[in-house]
Amino acid sequence: MMPKSSTLAQTSPTFANHVGRFMRNYYIYFVLVLVVALLSVANLDKFDLFERGNFLYERNIINILRISAPLLTLAGAFTLLMVSGYIDLSVGSAMSLSAVVYAMLAINGVPFIPAFAITVVVGAALGLINGILVIRLKITPVIATLITLSLYKGVALLLVQDGVSAIKSGGGLKMPSWFNSYGREGVLLGLPMAFWMAIAVIIALVIVQNRTLLGKYAVATGGNPTAAKLSGISTGKIVILIYVLVGITAALAGIARSSFMSLGDPLSGDGMELTVILVVLLGGTAFSGGEGRVLRSFIGALIIMALTVGMLTLVPAYYQTLVIGAALLAAAASNHLVSRKEASK
Amino acid sequence: MTITDSTPPLSKGRTLSEGGRRMSDETFIMLLVGGVAVGLFLIASVMVPNFFQLLNMLNLVTNNWAVISLGVGVTFLLVSGNFDLSVGGIVALSGVLAVWFAQSPDGANSLSTGLGLPYWLAVLGAFFGALAIGAMNALFVVRFSIPSIIVTLGTMMVARGIAQVITQGSQRNTNLPDAFGVLGNMTVFGTWVKLPVFLMVVLLVVAIFIERKAVFGRLTFWIGSNPIAANLSGIDKGKHVTYLYLFSSAIAGVVGILLASEFKSGYSNRGTLMEFDALVIALLGGVAIAGGFGSVVGMFFGAIILAVVTSAATGLVLSPDWQYILKAIAVFLAIMTQTWALARRNR
Repeated sequence: MMPKSSTLAQTSPTFANHVGRFMRNYYIYFVLVLVVALLSVANLDKFDLFERGNFLYERNIINILRISAPLLTLAGAFTLLMVSGYIDLSVGSAMSLSAVVYAMLAINGVPFIPAFAITVVVGAALGLINGILVIRLKITPVIATLITLSLYKGVALLLVQDGVSAIKSGGGLKMPSWFNSYGREGVLLGLPMAFWMAIAVIIALVIVQNRTLLGKYAVATGGNPTAAKLSGISTGKIVILIYVLVGITAALAGIARSSFMSLGDPLSGDGMELTVILVVLLGGTAFSGGEGRVLRSFIGALIIMALTVGMLTLVPAYYQTLVIGAALLAAAASNHLVSRKEASK
Repeated sequence: MTITDSTPPLSKGRTLSEGGRRMSDETFIMLLVGGVAVGLFLIASVMVPNFFQLLNMLNLVTNNWAVISLGVGVTFLLVSGNFDLSVGGIVALSGVLAVWFAQSPDGANSLSTGLGLPYWLAVLGAFFGALAIGAMNALFVVRFSIPSIIVTLGTMMVARGIAQVITQGSQRNTNLPDAFGVLGNMTVFGTWVKLPVFLMVVLLVVAIFIERKAVFGRLTFWIGSNPIAANLSGIDKGKHVTYLYLFSSAIAGVVGILLASEFKSGYSNRGTLMEFDALVIALLGGVAIAGGFGSVVGMFFGAIILAVVTSAATGLVLSPDWQYILKAIAVFLAIMTQTWALARRNR
């Protein structure tokens, strides 16, 4: 239990309070159901439910979940980071760089498992650099990760030769045939490895948050850093560890994206940091830290992916930026209203 | 530096006991940044052929008029302890709006059909569109007290999103009155100086005056360095920050209109990453992200540093991909040097 809700329960266990808490904990599921319901009835006049063309058409659902794999992978660790009161603007660039590294390894003949492992190590190193800049060199998280955003993006662009937009088959080198099966080929329920990896990451991080000291320390660090430090938690190490976790998930996201697109695109993660922040805020995580659940961010990611992909059948693609921006503002505003209500109680 | 010596000790690191004799930390950082800018320029002149030329020096400033102008608003907001990442989006929005309003209503297809307003009304409308985004920033940051970085990222996307909807994801550049291209390309006083560059210089002078001499500017520093004390001294912080957001969005609006006029087009991706460049030059110029510290002159030197680094890289025939890495290194070194120099000085 989070400290905030447990103190709430002690003060006034009235009916209204229970309803309020229930809503706060589960509203995100209602939003998901609502979005899916709206999208599936939106064009019922033209297509029947579950038919081709309708949102709930089986292939469509599978496709959305496949495309969602990178975002679903990222949402969990990023939640832990924001819960501890920190932020990482470089995730998108770290994801692009990992995608490029993975594609380069694969195209040069490194087999799947070593290529995968090396990329994950690279991702962890990128996270470690962020952690060191923020904790050891004491640079404000926003600036530190803005620096690495630029740095990782630059390295990713440099790794791809001039005149070529991405690492792909051509010039005597050929992508191995196994390359896109990780992100595309259905292994279970028609869904690929990348998706199941995202699920595994989320389950692992839910356990980390609920059952391990790391999860509790993260909340403590974000809720009251000074108190956490004084109670003997080495907050610096916790934060560095979480930055490394974010780096690892960024690498996994990069691998998923790269495999799905069959190329190593140095711009593939551009803007991802905004989408992840949006998803985590949508899940009710406080921007100032100390509160937030991994699972709710996961649901938030599903909502955003359903919305952005599902919308494509209804309105032209150029509406996307506007909708995402408006959703970000709405999520931030509703978070604020909820927390103000809580404070006034 | 008589100006700062005569001002009361408002800045963070300034010690009262030493009276007016010691240079303030702000002046110190400003000189440091200025020194670095000049030093980098000299190094680049030695290394890059044809770099040391009057025209090149002027180009370093004139090519960056848009980002430097945006930097003024962003600097004031940072000093007050707030981010503004929406300026790039506003640049796109106001440009697109100006074009859409001015296009004649009898175009062949939807992208060449506008509202057909007279030119002055189109520009005015676009300007108010920009102000609306600034007002939205202020509403969310001041009234709802949501962290400004989140708010302005959101409004950046909303502003650019509206621009993308109006241009259907591309650009509008047909069916415009001839008057539309005048503002962005005209020169002033019969010299070769373009109007946007001249406006940037005026803006810088006015901003420096406000920052140093006007009550408004000094209040901005108070709010940024200690919001609670500012509140207790009866300063209406919300109103002040609202003005700052309107000020910043107004600058971005004018920049957008001038750019649209210069290229005679409303392009929905114009100004992409300008918000980050404006933030980066402010940081390079020693503006503290926590608020209460920084100067417009420092920001200007920050812009020169960035311009020297990127144009020297181009001169050294590095691939353009290098600019991201160079930018990262420049910001990293700037932050570390400033922290180190201030810590040494105030030991």
